[in-house]
Amino acid sequence: MRAARSAAQGVPRSAPRRVLVVCCPDWPAAAQDQSGRPGARAFEQVISAVEEFCPRVEVIRPGICAIGARGPARYFGGEAELARKITEAVTGRGFGCQVGIADGLFAARLAALAGLPVVVVAPGGTAAFLAPYPVITLESPELDDLLPALGITTLGEFAALPAAEVANRFGTRGARAHRLARGHDPRPLVPRPPRADLSVQIEFDPPAEQSEPVVFAAKMLAAKMHSRLADGGLACVRVQVQAVCEDGREITRLWRHDGLLSALAVAERVRWQLDGWRTGQGDQAGQAGQAGQGSQGRETGDGIRAGGITLLRLTPDQLVRAGGRQLGLWGDAVPSDRVARAALRVQAMLGHGAVQCPVVAGGRSPADQVLLVPFSDTGTPLLPADRPWPGRIPAPAPATVYPAPVPARVTDDSGAVVTVTGRAQASALPARLWLWLPPDVGGGRSGGGRSGGGRSGGGWSGGGWSDGGRSGGGRSLAVISWAGPWPVTERWWDLASSRRQARFQLVTEDGSAWLAVVQDGHWLIEASYD
Amino acid sequence: MRAEIVQVTPLSLGQDGDGVPAERVLPGAGMLPVLPALRDLLPGGGLRRGSVVATGRWGLLCLALAAGASAAGAWCAVTGLPQLGVVAAADAGLDPGRLLLIAEPGNSWPQVVASLLDGCEIVLLCPPDRPSAQVRRKLEAAIRRYEGVLVVAGDWEGAQTRLLVARQEWTGMGAGHGRLRARKVQVVADGRGAWSRPRARWLWLPGPDGSVTAVAEGVAGGVPAAAADGTDGSDWARGTGEAGVSWRGANAG
Repeated sequence: MRAARSAAQGVPRSAPRRVLVVCCPDWPAAAQDQSGRPGARAFEQVISAVEEFCPRVEVIRPGICAIGARGPARYFGGEAELARKITEAVTGRGFGCQVGIADGLFAARLAALAGLPVVVVAPGGTAAFLAPYPVITLESPELDDLLPALGITTLGEFAALPAAEVANRFGTRGARAHRLARGHDPRPLVPRPPRADLSVQIEFDPPAEQSEPVVFAAKMLAAKMHSRLADGGLACVRVQVQAVCEDGREITRLWRHDGLLSALAVAERVRWQLDGWRTGQGDQAGQAGQAGQGSQGRETGDGIRAGGITLLRLTPDQLVRAGGRQLGLWGDAVPSDRVARAALRVQAMLGHGAVQCPVVAGGRSPADQVLLVPFSDTGTPLLPADRPWPGRIPAPAPATVYPAPVPARVTDDSGAVVTVTGRAQASALPARLWLWLPPDVGGGRSGGGRSGGGRSGGGWSGGGWSDGGRSGGGRSLAVISWAGPWPVTERWWDLASSRRQARFQLVTEDGSAWLAVVQDGHWLIEASYD
Repeated sequence: MRAEIVQVTPLSLGQDGDGVPAERVLPGAGMLPVLPALRDLLPGGGLRRGSVVATGRWGLLCLALAAGASAAGAWCAVTGLPQLGVVAAADAGLDPGRLLLIAEPGNSWPQVVASLLDGCEIVLLCPPDRPSAQVRRKLEAAIRRYEGVLVVAGDWEGAQTRLLVARQEWTGMGAGHGRLRARKVQVVADGRGAWSRPRARWLWLPGPDGSVTAVAEGVAGGVPAAAADGTDGSDWARGTGEAGVSWRGANAG
């Protein structure tokens, strides 16, 4: 697509890109002084000097960075002039600097490392420039030994070999190295726009024992973060709230933002996060207290347990351009503030993924036909609902779709398990359905009988099947009518996700209707229609 | 507090005569609308705000109870029911776009329900454990304060109304042929006070297209298979034909 676009704009696809590489030759030494990370951080100064000339800089590694040279060179009066100005700017900040300009990153990098302050390889002269370099500069471990053994020592000699032969003899990597040696870059420059650190934080000394001061500070921090984002014309999709406790524990949570939250709303989320955390801590403290270990738990009135908060940090996540948001004129179910507040409170208690909104999707089995996305996220189903899904379960849809299918068995009159032949014929007439509802499924599933089988008074009498399901073993029901088998072979081209099943609908003696599936000789209850 | 509902369906403000009557019930009349088929079963013809309705067990009836209000613009939260069939809910009339699902509310489910009542008009709950009398009273107080409706998929001792599926009968399927088409159920309602005398109604729950309707008087006592078959039998046959699937199961033998 990129090629098509550049062709449409009249740029020949094969035109090599002029690349300027800035290299600090003594960088490893400087990095050693300050051990690793500080060295990388010091290179930020070099990058900021280079950004004065071109805002899109690709950092290759600490010590070397690259920019596209074509535009800046035209602006600053030629490539040599640009290189001279960059050298001056970088050396002005106290760093050694060498600059190379050539077609493509590989050659420009070699030019920058050539040992001269400025090396400019003329357009089209890249192959000639590369020719005297030894093959070891290709940094290809396979070729380093092999090529000299074949009598090929320089890139020029390597480049002279026919490309097809190189690909035959040395494979893909060899072909790639051959392209490099001929002066073609294997990949375009990937410069990134500058990334500023937009996070804001505040430290509490002494640690904040109560929620209130933290929430108050959060409001101020959020206002600061919003103004920084607005300066950059940015909005964040989510905001990460991180609170560090005195004992080193961290509470980190991502909140949906979408550029819509006010500072007060962000502060409110901080409060929920702390409250939710406190609730969880309270539970833990209770358990620990029972075990006789709750010595350091001290509950404060309104706030935070065990030491208080020492640091609060807000980090904008997933920056996007602030373009406003257009809502549907009507017809969209826009959650009102009240609903959003309730949902976010529950998310603070149980986690972001605990509150879900369903999106109707396509697919054949009932479980496929819904996609659950966490509240305030957006999700697009992989299986669109508006396609024909031949073989999908016909309406009416089952009201109960088991998250995990329930093991079952369907037998005929003689007690043998009913199977389905390759020609989609049932081996016998289904006569009994055996169900193995796990206790938690059975108990949580229906209102009837979840804490003790003896209680079956008035309102619980509708329960029926789940009472038996709870009894541990399988439970058997006579099948009074049935339909099927309806075979489905899905995704046969993909071994990992292929399914070959046959579905049945069964009505049992208690009046319940079931959607059963047989796969590899095993019966499962996918759904119940009650 | 009721103003949000008006915002959700702004057109309903302008409509006076021809709109769905339910929409006029929504803001502030003390009642949430229900599907027409269920009106006879509920005191006042709707779900009284601040009340608890128990349905004995989880089933399509719970969804049907919430469907009318959801279609009229109310938000509905479903707690403790990971097995909810969303397609069935949508067919019954619930708007999936105004549905919040909290599959696993955990031990703090009373707090979760109280929080949800603050935002949603209807909370559909399957309690993970049997609530103590104290928890129940607190929740009932929250329900009254937020003027929501709690539909319990199970039993609830202080419930103002109980609806139970007393009898059910699936139609459309024989021994190895046909398919499930509709279910005729007898729903029995009882409650407190003036509503203490049980009353029963026959409903299609679900009907052939997943919707919930009252069984016409003529077929209330008899076998309703003919009515259901007539409505969409051709549909299904055509659907399979188009799909080129040749497995329509007449393999009873």
